[in-house]
Amino acid sequence: MNRYEKAAAGGVALMLAAAAAIFLFAPTDALQGPVQRIFYLHVSAAIAAYGCFAVVLVGGAIYLRNGSLVADRFARAGALVGLVFTTVTLVMGMLWAKPIWGTYWTWDARLTSTLVLWIIYAGYLMVRRLAEPGRQAARFAAVVGIFGFIDVPVVHFSVTWWRTVHPGPIIVNDALPPEMLATFFFTMACTLVLAAVMIGIRYRIETLTDGAEQTVTELARVVGARDAEPVN
Amino acid sequence: MTNSFAVAVAVARKDLIAEWRTRELVPALAQFVILALVIANFGFQIDSRNAPSIAPGVLWLALVFAGLVAFGRAFAAEREQASLEALMMTPASPVAIFAGKALAATLLLIGCEAVLLPALALFFGTPLSVQVVAAVLLATIGMAALGCLFAAMVARVRARELLLPLLTLPLWIPFIVAGGQAVQVAMGATGNYDQAMALLVDFDILFVVLTSLAARFVLDE
Repeated sequence: MNRYEKAAAGGVALMLAAAAAIFLFAPTDALQGPVQRIFYLHVSAAIAAYGCFAVVLVGGAIYLRNGSLVADRFARAGALVGLVFTTVTLVMGMLWAKPIWGTYWTWDARLTSTLVLWIIYAGYLMVRRLAEPGRQAARFAAVVGIFGFIDVPVVHFSVTWWRTVHPGPIIVNDALPPEMLATFFFTMACTLVLAAVMIGIRYRIETLTDGAEQTVTELARVVGARDAEPVN
Repeated sequence: MTNSFAVAVAVARKDLIAEWRTRELVPALAQFVILALVIANFGFQIDSRNAPSIAPGVLWLALVFAGLVAFGRAFAAEREQASLEALMMTPASPVAIFAGKALAATLLLIGCEAVLLPALALFFGTPLSVQVVAAVLLATIGMAALGCLFAAMVARVRARELLLPLLTLPLWIPFIVAGGQAVQVAMGATGNYDQAMALLVDFDILFVVLTSLAARFVLDE
């Protein structure tokens, strides 16, 4: 087992421990019943997604400053992992909303801004696929990553101004009993570790991809130079 | 500073003259928005009761897609003639060139709005008031800044027709949220018009500043 496999196994084990805490340790909510257990992973995944997109933002900004390939690879890794966690957040939120609100979707500030977040980073990955690989793709993606990060609070703020039904931040309001709070923080820690492991593995993949692409370019250059030589 | 301003005006003037001589984009966009209204009519079965509630949505849908076409075309001619590279080789600052292109595209989109808004008033019976026009113009400024930035970016990317709406539409949403609210109120819905307009001004300032900072990285390529 190499260190990436070990890290992946550790991440999975932590998530299983979090699942045990969610289903066995945390008490059932008096009002919402078992559905409330979605909350732990839903909020943790959302925080992990924001963390990943912060990596995209910082990586992109560093890349624009000094063209660091490492920063760009981290940005790429962060975007993909962040998109995965945003998907988890959206899906879990919808599953929770159906029994509690009576509908899977409503155009609430948080739902809208999370959906926009998802669309922006899906666009980010599209730019990476479609732009000329290398400097151009990295630069354009960095700009998208920075604008995307700024746009999300703006969307959130503009929609909040008119309508919102999403539950407020209950953790800072001290509204949770200690067992629930402990479960939440444990799940959040596990999810963040998982996100970090995923970014690490993805970073490795991006490094290998870059290396492979460089080899192909080099080969093409060498072969091209040989073919261009006059044959006697 | 005055030099950059002169460059921006010169670039904008060049684009506007090119449009005036060919008369391609604005007539096509005008037809496009009229067609959008016709389609909305058949899609919604509009009568005098529901028109005020449907009209703002139709307005923004038509405007957003017309805007995508307008900004997509802003760099099309430069790409086809490979003249953007020549422009960038001049000592003029990229930001000034970008500002000029954005200014011209904005004016062309406003030309298209000059058709859309009266047509909407005519077909939907909604008021063509100063409030409606002001909200649409305020939203146009910020949308143009963002639209031109991403149009400049995708101009040299393959599948640019796919990428431009994908990148631009989510970033336009704040303008649609605030502008949509302002136009709804101006067309008779309840709400706070001044608040929405203040928000539009805030977004304009924010995104114009951001795009002018980012333009350098996009055009330098």
